[in-house]
Amino acid sequence: MRAVLNSRLFWFIVTAIAIGLMPMIFTDSYWQTNLIVCAINVMLAVGLDFILGYAGQLNLGQSAFYGIGAYVSTLLIMKLGMPFWIAFGCGVLLSGIAGMLLSLFAVRLRGHYLAIASLGFAVITYQILLNWISLTQGPLGIYAIPPPPALQLPGLPIVDFKNLANLFYLTAGFAFLAYLLLDQLVRSPIGETLTAIREDEVSAASLGINCQAWKVFAFAVGSSVAGAAGCFYASFVGTLVPDAFFITESFTILAMVIVGGMGTLIGPVWGAILLTVLPELLRGVGDMRLIIYGVAVTLVVLFMPGGMVQAARYTTAHFRRLLASRGAGP
Amino acid sequence: MTAAALVVPGEPQSSSEGAVLFRAQGLHKSFGGVRAVRDISLAIPMGSVFAIIGPNGAGKSTLLNLMSGIYQPDAGKMLFGEVDMIGVPAHRRVRHGLARTFQKIRLFKQLSVLDNVVAGFHTHHAISAWQYILHGAAFRRDHARCRNEAASLLAFVGLEKRAQVLAGSLSYGEQRMLEIARALATGPRLLMVDEPAAGLNAAEVDTLLDRIGVLRQRGVTVVVVEHNMDLVMKVADRILVMDYGQYLFAGSPAEVQANPAVIAAYLGVDFQ
Repeated sequence: MRAVLNSRLFWFIVTAIAIGLMPMIFTDSYWQTNLIVCAINVMLAVGLDFILGYAGQLNLGQSAFYGIGAYVSTLLIMKLGMPFWIAFGCGVLLSGIAGMLLSLFAVRLRGHYLAIASLGFAVITYQILLNWISLTQGPLGIYAIPPPPALQLPGLPIVDFKNLANLFYLTAGFAFLAYLLLDQLVRSPIGETLTAIREDEVSAASLGINCQAWKVFAFAVGSSVAGAAGCFYASFVGTLVPDAFFITESFTILAMVIVGGMGTLIGPVWGAILLTVLPELLRGVGDMRLIIYGVAVTLVVLFMPGGMVQAARYTTAHFRRLLASRGAGP
Repeated sequence: MTAAALVVPGEPQSSSEGAVLFRAQGLHKSFGGVRAVRDISLAIPMGSVFAIIGPNGAGKSTLLNLMSGIYQPDAGKMLFGEVDMIGVPAHRRVRHGLARTFQKIRLFKQLSVLDNVVAGFHTHHAISAWQYILHGAAFRRDHARCRNEAASLLAFVGLEKRAQVLAGSLSYGEQRMLEIARALATGPRLLMVDEPAAGLNAAEVDTLLDRIGVLRQRGVTVVVVEHNMDLVMKVADRILVMDYGQYLFAGSPAEVQANPAVIAAYLGVDFQ
């Protein structure tokens, strides 16, 4: 039993089944919309965690990479009539390149300085989206963005992404794929290299690690994943306004990573789901929800710096002890 | 520039001592107005234990930082084997076979003892790029090899029972030994240890001396920066004495102990 619970394959199958069941449990369009937002936020959070939790680079530019992915893919589709999946590839690629460029410029910065530089990058990107009206239509926004084209595989019925459940399967599938990719990377020697950089750059260099190159790599991967999230966001919402990529979005993603538990990949997944669903559940209490949300995040940071992952480990350890003491008793 | 073009004071003139692994000539390094290293030259014979000693603030650690590439010298030449080391960044010097530990311990404190050593294999992963994403048989072999070699390195420094604890929870002496194990994981020809005995008790110092001796037998050249004279006298083949950033003397332990200038620097001129 223990072996099954510890096997990755088992949990991947459980996750796949859970993704499959979700739209059947939540059949109304309100919750299906939230499910898609969850999947998009999971991508943003695991992408940031790769940069922040593993390579240790305090990146507050995630909202910019998200926006670049969304605007690049949408403009290519709307202005040049490019097919969705090619535009998607371009959006991911350009977000990744933007991440590389930011890290190349900021390569000597660390901690707070990198945070300020990346925040500046997010502000600049937002201002460009807002003010380059001939291209982005600024605050007026871009409307009537089509959903991804229907998928027709031989021998299968046509999968139409105007259907929210199908769109959820698509975004959640990509979120799952992004998770698997990052999971494989962090369990390879690349993960060892990035954590070494996070812990101590001078030490890492003394082991032959080219810290600058690996930081660029981490930024490229993490920002590409955010770019993919942006592409899905645009085709899902159907409307693009720069405000969706304001710098507060960076802090929301940061909160997801911290609440979930940075430096683990599963933590930010739960953090993203919780911080997407929680505000919706609290809608009934009106503006009080913002206070509850803020207090909850603050409490986690103060009392559970390892986030939900730490809490889960603590609880399971506690239960194991409890069971062991029961078993030893009369 | 050839190795023969570099003449180093205090270097044994007979060629029977064998080849020189690391040479430096005329190294200078200033920080603002402080001239931390002034005109230092040295020649480290292959397979020897080479000690750099001097009072506090003599520039020993700065010299080590110049040799390992953390700083670049303002002037001077450096050759490792036949390779010019000037301008080569620290991380690339590791690939040539240079490794070091730090005076102020710089372990990855949040990682396990084993993972600290495993990180040292960074330059020795022989797997193709796609294996990082799709973990195949070669990946698993590499993974197992690194962990086995890391475990034997831990056994070498006497930490095999501590493999799974966090590096930050080790005692001071254990942390020093772990730094040595981590540096050895890079597979160095030249290992530079910066004040390895600082904070160690007598038994730990003995273990350290023994391990340095074993490394020397295995053909690793060791540079020891130290101000513990007793330790240096026991372990070193050749000694460079520095004072105020400058060359004071170089020679065998016996020559160093008998040299009036060294005695003056350490004990004061009027002591006798």
